[in-house]
Amino acid sequence: MRRNRILWSSIALAATLLAGGTRLSPAQAADIIDEWVNAKAPPPPALKPVTVDPKTTALLMLDFLQANCGHRPSCLAEMPVMKKLLDAARGAGATVIYSGFGNATASDVIKDVAPPANEPLIHSNADKFLNTDLDKMLKDKGIQTVITVGTAANGAILYTAGGAALRGYKVIIPVDGLSADDLYAMQFTVWELVHATPDFVSRVTLTRSDMIKF
Amino acid sequence: MKREKWVLAFGLAAAVGLGASNLHAASIIDEWASVKAPPAPELKPVTVDPKTTALLMVDFVKPSCNPERGRRCIATLPAVKKLLDEARGKGMMVVYTAYGKNTKNDIVPEVAPDGSEPFVVSFLNKYLGSDLEKILKDKGIQTVITVGTFAHGAVLTTASESAERGFKVIVPVDGISFDNLYAEQYTAWHLANAPVIASKITLTSIDMMKF
Repeated sequence: MRRNRILWSSIALAATLLAGGTRLSPAQAADIIDEWVNAKAPPPPALKPVTVDPKTTALLMLDFLQANCGHRPSCLAEMPVMKKLLDAARGAGATVIYSGFGNATASDVIKDVAPPANEPLIHSNADKFLNTDLDKMLKDKGIQTVITVGTAANGAILYTAGGAALRGYKVIIPVDGLSADDLYAMQFTVWELVHATPDFVSRVTLTRSDMIKF
Repeated sequence: MKREKWVLAFGLAAAVGLGASNLHAASIIDEWASVKAPPAPELKPVTVDPKTTALLMVDFVKPSCNPERGRRCIATLPAVKKLLDEARGKGMMVVYTAYGKNTKNDIVPEVAPDGSEPFVVSFLNKYLGSDLEKILKDKGIQTVITVGTFAHGAVLTTASESAERGFKVIVPVDGISFDNLYAEQYTAWHLANAPVIASKITLTSIDMMKF
């Protein structure tokens, strides 16, 4: 069927050219599958240092579970810097909230960054605001800024960081705190979160964990 | 000899230690230039049940779908019009969305809503701050076809949210657009491959859809 479409497109193009057209009109633009090889990655976005107020900031530790992170080298490689960020957040008295999926409990979190009993663990699939009290938990604590780290970049991070920005929170995304099975997915997530739309982007800061001061 | 080995080992350990304390962990920014796009996903034929399927017309508004900003959106209009006519002809539910201050009158005329079709206004995630889920579930909708512009924003987010909210999702690549091929490419790949949602999404093209 696709071959037919390409054939018909070629015939249409030939007809256009024969009719005296010198270039494709916008109405003949091809869909993305036809244009696949023409897509080029944009340049990497700049990282910015950021200082947060621990009283109004929550660190969201998204799905650092054995079941996914435990099998994802790009996630396990981040554990030392995530531990450091977590210690800094706790040391400064910032709020820390964990997420998992399925029936995950604190004991399913990767040990290096596991939660103590007093830090909440919420459950949802990819968008952690969906079917949870996350928004209420944050608002009840007067949280205005969230730092999102976890895996997968193009799942929990993309939707939860995006969902936080849509709900009016400032969002801080350290690039050394997101991981996925594909670099392509990680690259897009980083790009998307600082390019989605001007309104949204104005609330998002892309940074690195050692550029965050509490 | 033994002592030399120890010195060497100590020196190496010190070098590694010092290096580690000065270096940050590698991140996607360091690997940016080496990222390669995966192969294009395969499009699949799909049969639609008009009784339980809704067509979501996402943000076909003049400020996003015009020859200056939205050239690729304009290019999707003939195929989307065909899909829209087919959906209406089969009595399918059609729901329009827009963002900001856009109204029904701001939808591009080629695919404009009729008077009775629901219209919701929300930003990126069309379920957030709208009745969209209720509008769909009240009609017994189980599958949504998502077409529209701002492929990587409103379409990606709304298609993903639909999947997370229990709907099956159909996305024809020739019905989605954005004037940035990278963003459009990733969107197509994401909908076919991303965790959690991909198993509920069928990536297709308008001529591969049967009613």
